[in-house]
Amino acid sequence: MKKSLLDYILRNRLPLSVFVIISSFTLTYFISRPERDGVGYTPVQPINFSHKLHAGDMKIDCKYCHTNVDKSRFAGIPAVATCMNCHTIARKDRPEIIKLTGYYRDGVPLPWKRIHKVPDYAYFNHSVHVNKGIDCSACHGEVAQMEKVGQMNSFTMGSCLNCHRNAHDKFPELKNQIKKGPEYCSACHR
Amino acid sequence: MSDYREENNLQNNPDPNYWRSFEELYKNEKTLEARNHEFADGVTDDFNPNESLSGISRRKFLALLGASAAFAGVACSDYRDKGEIVPYNVKPEEIILGKPNFYASTCTACPNSCGILIKTREGRPIKVDGNPEHPVNRGKICAKGQANILNLYDPERIQQPLKKNSAGFDNIDWKKADSDIIAALSMAGSKEISIVTHTISSPTFLKVLEDFKSKFPSTKVYSYELFNNSNRNSAWIKSYGSGNFPLIKWNEAKVIVALDSDFLGVEGNRIENSRLFAESRDVNSKSFNRLYVIESSMTLTGINADYRMRIRPELQFAFVMSLMNELNKKGVISTSLASGFSLSDFVEKNNLDKEKVNYLINDLIAYKGKSIIHAGDLLPENVHIAVNILNDLLGNKNLYRNDSSPVNLINLASLDEIKELVGKISNGQIAAVIHLDCNPVYHFPSDLNYKNMLGKVPIVVTLTERMNETAQFSNYILPVNHNFESWGDAKNRTGVISLQQPVISPLHNTRQKEAILLTWISSSPETFSETLYHDYLMKHWETDIYPSLKSKIEFKQLWFGALHDGFLLTNESAQNVGNINLSSLDLNQASIDTKGITLILRESYQVGDGRFANNGWLQELPHPVSRITWDNYAAISHNTAKSLNVENDDLVEVSVGGRKLTLPVFIQAGNADDTITIELGYGREFSGIVASGVGFNANQLLSSKPDFSNWVYSNASITKAAGKYSLASTQEHHAFDNPRTQDLHLKRHIIQEGTVSLYEKKPDFIQEHRPKELESVYTPFQYNEMKWGMAIDLNKCLGCGDCIVACNVENNVPVVGKDQVLKSREMQWLRIDRYYSGSPDDPRVSVQPMLCQHCDQAPCENVCPVVATTHSPDGLNQMVYNRCVGTRYCSNNCPYKVRRFNFFNFRDHFRDGYQESSLLTLMFNPEVTVRSRGVMEKCTFCVQRIEEARSEAARKGVPIKGTDVKTACQEACPTNAIHFGDINGKDSEFYKYRTHELGYYVLEELNVRPNVTYIAKLRNIHTEEL
Repeated sequence: MKKSLLDYILRNRLPLSVFVIISSFTLTYFISRPERDGVGYTPVQPINFSHKLHAGDMKIDCKYCHTNVDKSRFAGIPAVATCMNCHTIARKDRPEIIKLTGYYRDGVPLPWKRIHKVPDYAYFNHSVHVNKGIDCSACHGEVAQMEKVGQMNSFTMGSCLNCHRNAHDKFPELKNQIKKGPEYCSACHR
Repeated sequence: MSDYREENNLQNNPDPNYWRSFEELYKNEKTLEARNHEFADGVTDDFNPNESLSGISRRKFLALLGASAAFAGVACSDYRDKGEIVPYNVKPEEIILGKPNFYASTCTACPNSCGILIKTREGRPIKVDGNPEHPVNRGKICAKGQANILNLYDPERIQQPLKKNSAGFDNIDWKKADSDIIAALSMAGSKEISIVTHTISSPTFLKVLEDFKSKFPSTKVYSYELFNNSNRNSAWIKSYGSGNFPLIKWNEAKVIVALDSDFLGVEGNRIENSRLFAESRDVNSKSFNRLYVIESSMTLTGINADYRMRIRPELQFAFVMSLMNELNKKGVISTSLASGFSLSDFVEKNNLDKEKVNYLINDLIAYKGKSIIHAGDLLPENVHIAVNILNDLLGNKNLYRNDSSPVNLINLASLDEIKELVGKISNGQIAAVIHLDCNPVYHFPSDLNYKNMLGKVPIVVTLTERMNETAQFSNYILPVNHNFESWGDAKNRTGVISLQQPVISPLHNTRQKEAILLTWISSSPETFSETLYHDYLMKHWETDIYPSLKSKIEFKQLWFGALHDGFLLTNESAQNVGNINLSSLDLNQASIDTKGITLILRESYQVGDGRFANNGWLQELPHPVSRITWDNYAAISHNTAKSLNVENDDLVEVSVGGRKLTLPVFIQAGNADDTITIELGYGREFSGIVASGVGFNANQLLSSKPDFSNWVYSNASITKAAGKYSLASTQEHHAFDNPRTQDLHLKRHIIQEGTVSLYEKKPDFIQEHRPKELESVYTPFQYNEMKWGMAIDLNKCLGCGDCIVACNVENNVPVVGKDQVLKSREMQWLRIDRYYSGSPDDPRVSVQPMLCQHCDQAPCENVCPVVATTHSPDGLNQMVYNRCVGTRYCSNNCPYKVRRFNFFNFRDHFRDGYQESSLLTLMFNPEVTVRSRGVMEKCTFCVQRIEEARSEAARKGVPIKGTDVKTACQEACPTNAIHFGDINGKDSEFYKYRTHELGYYVLEELNVRPNVTYIAKLRNIHTEEL
């Protein structure tokens, strides 16, 4: 049988191309799915703390615990002592509170699992966003409804810029108060 | 063995030099044959991989390896794990994560005791600035004070007490050390206990020493400084009977005559001197002082002179007396003291510029009472007395400050007293020597042989932060707290007492030196507690200082107030300047033979008297005049070099009175002929990885029997030695006589200068040179809101380099080491360019801080292939480290050469990874990325401070203003030469400088439109032409 050009294309080129296309598609899909950016990451915490109970049902303000959020770059995870403001009296008999009291009594810091993270070279500033009136839930999701906190949004540069560029679409209620977010490099990187 | 010999000895003579075995030595034939085969016989015979190894083939092995790695990767890593957040258990009330706290304290790096403000983040000190409210230094602090932060985190600090054994040192605990020493001290009996220390400026420490003396009555305190103003003070006492040489109103002086006095460089409180000096170099008020410098070595003061003349230090006395005689002749003053001198003869004999001398005489007459003549620390007493008399006769006494005067808590030990100490040691009259944070083995003249004398003392105790020459020869080394870990107070002038407070608890097992002494006084090692000295300090203030203040508020309130402010103002009158005693002048000392070569030993601008030699930032800070880093050298004049037939970097042997030192030569333009200037503070031994072996120990040239002054030696000699030594300079030294390089900076208008008289006549003379604004091929970006800019007033810039260190600390700039500086790879974002013009004998010097100009049309941005450097809408030229791939095109295209490339991860490269210590990571500014190998970096206009100001403005809900941001260099500049702000903020102070008639841009003709404006320097000379 005489080998034709078509034969070569069908035998070699086609399967190779199909393979490359499928594999790049699979790879891209795998890499770019939101889970890769940590969306849905809900680790087990050393204390089974419920934001739904505290922030949702009891309506404790976020800033009661995350005191630095309007003052500094970091929102701040509360010290054990902050928990003990209430729990020296409240629900002292519950197993989780006994565990918490143990940390406080021994002076051991509580090693919470980190959920939200931007890389070290991105200098995100909580206070600017909060002071401009942007709600915590814009990035962190409805934490007040979460029994166990997990990451709701992607924390990539693309996600940052998505809001910065379309601030007014994202926050129509703040249309008169905020401008577009900065897009230049040194706003975040320095 | 014997048979080899018998077989081969006759025909083969063994090669006596190199042999590996006796067989080879005696040339055994079998061995020689075997040498030709790679493997010995039989080694490879049984090698069958399938049998002797396991049955797995290579292919299979690799497949298994790959698979198991993949499984391990999948099974063991949780790629979503982001680590932990560990908050405080109980958060300290004053800490807000991510926000700095500032604590007022006192710098104890030198006896000037400036007030400092220490910036701490989460409990770690990360930056030091001057305390803005402190009446002495007013918010400024020198390079050494800034770099002191590195000393705190220095990985080579001694971390526990050490006791000498036969081979080295053993770690011991404090209790053992204390009880040993207490036992030794209480056995002293009538034998002397010698305490050797630097200047004592703390009244409470003085009290501790008094307590020590009453507990151990045979104690004697020797306080010394390698560089001091003892000649000036003893001259003052001879002239005026009592007191100290007063502080000077530099800001009110119309004419300043500095005789070998480096008052802007190393003498006195140079921060205060510089500020006051620059106050009357102000282009806005158009008031200018005139600085005459008559000196032997080119100093920082010398490069800022309006008129500068070179004479040898021995001639200064004759010069002052000749001036006195000339003024007497002109009838301005009347004195017969100087009748033996004649100015015209002096000028003739020493080849001085007649015109300059005439200007000087006329100015001293015209500004009688508004001029000050100031002699340098290194000049002998009789020059100071002559200067005191001349100032007095000219009525310049009213430039002595009457609001405050210097205070000496304890007089420095004279050279005779130190000789006496050494004599007592050699006679065995000393029971113990205690060194309090000082280094006499290195500092004392070598002919005293103090190092070997220490062996004769039963017990030598050294209290020190890190190992040094003295500690090496001590029986006990006790590590002391750093400045920032210590309590204390300081008083070195009337009317103000400064307080020092710790900002971090001791990093190591160290103790405060006062607390160590207090423990010994109590005779019980158990007495020590962390609060021992704090309690003592408070008690001393309450019982001794507080009552004298007659304050109406109660003590606790006053104490906490003073602690918060960092100082306390007291109602104390300054000393009165009485009538001068004209007979104090001894004219017999006048005739000094000036033949031969004069050796001048000066304090290093960077490392002081050597106590900062371990500090990489300071070692790498370029010398303000020569721009040399990491070394000292013998500076000689152009003519002296010619007559010796030496070039830069040639080794020479300097000898004086039989003391010799070989070191490299550096031809310094403007030095007096037949003088050698060497800076001390280098050539340290046993002092850790940074300090040891850097430079040359010129302290060896010091003598305990100086004939002229402690730091100046006549009749030295210098001869060329064999060899060369590379000095690492950050700036090229162009030939003066090459027409291509000569005055290039003036031809290209990099430096634009004028004179005060020209400016008064034609205020916009600078603008004539400026090119017309050119069209650009790009559409210019419209900056409608903020646009950051800087203005540098070259009239105020002295070239000291404090800004460089401030920038290093703020921006985590690494130390690269001498080998890299030699390859021009220094990383400092800010440099100071120094230009000479004119002749090498009498050059005019211009300095110019050079940093990223943040050009509107930046050439670097166009050539970056990965868009790693871009422009922000507020006018900053941004550098994105993550994008940078290190092509270095930007640096190549930068006309100002201000970009710096990380050829290495310099933290692991410098001196065996010295900077990779986990201790040093505590020092980093957490707001600035620590750059790694392969990326470009440069000045960011302190963008972290701009962004911080933005967030602060957002918090307050107000727009950001140009005055909200101060860059690190601006904060550090002692003369306020650097201004920073919003170019569009038309009503700001900065805008005045931005649009000043003397303002120009460097290399403006390139049309890159820089955002750094330079205010042209005006020289206050008598002509309009330079």
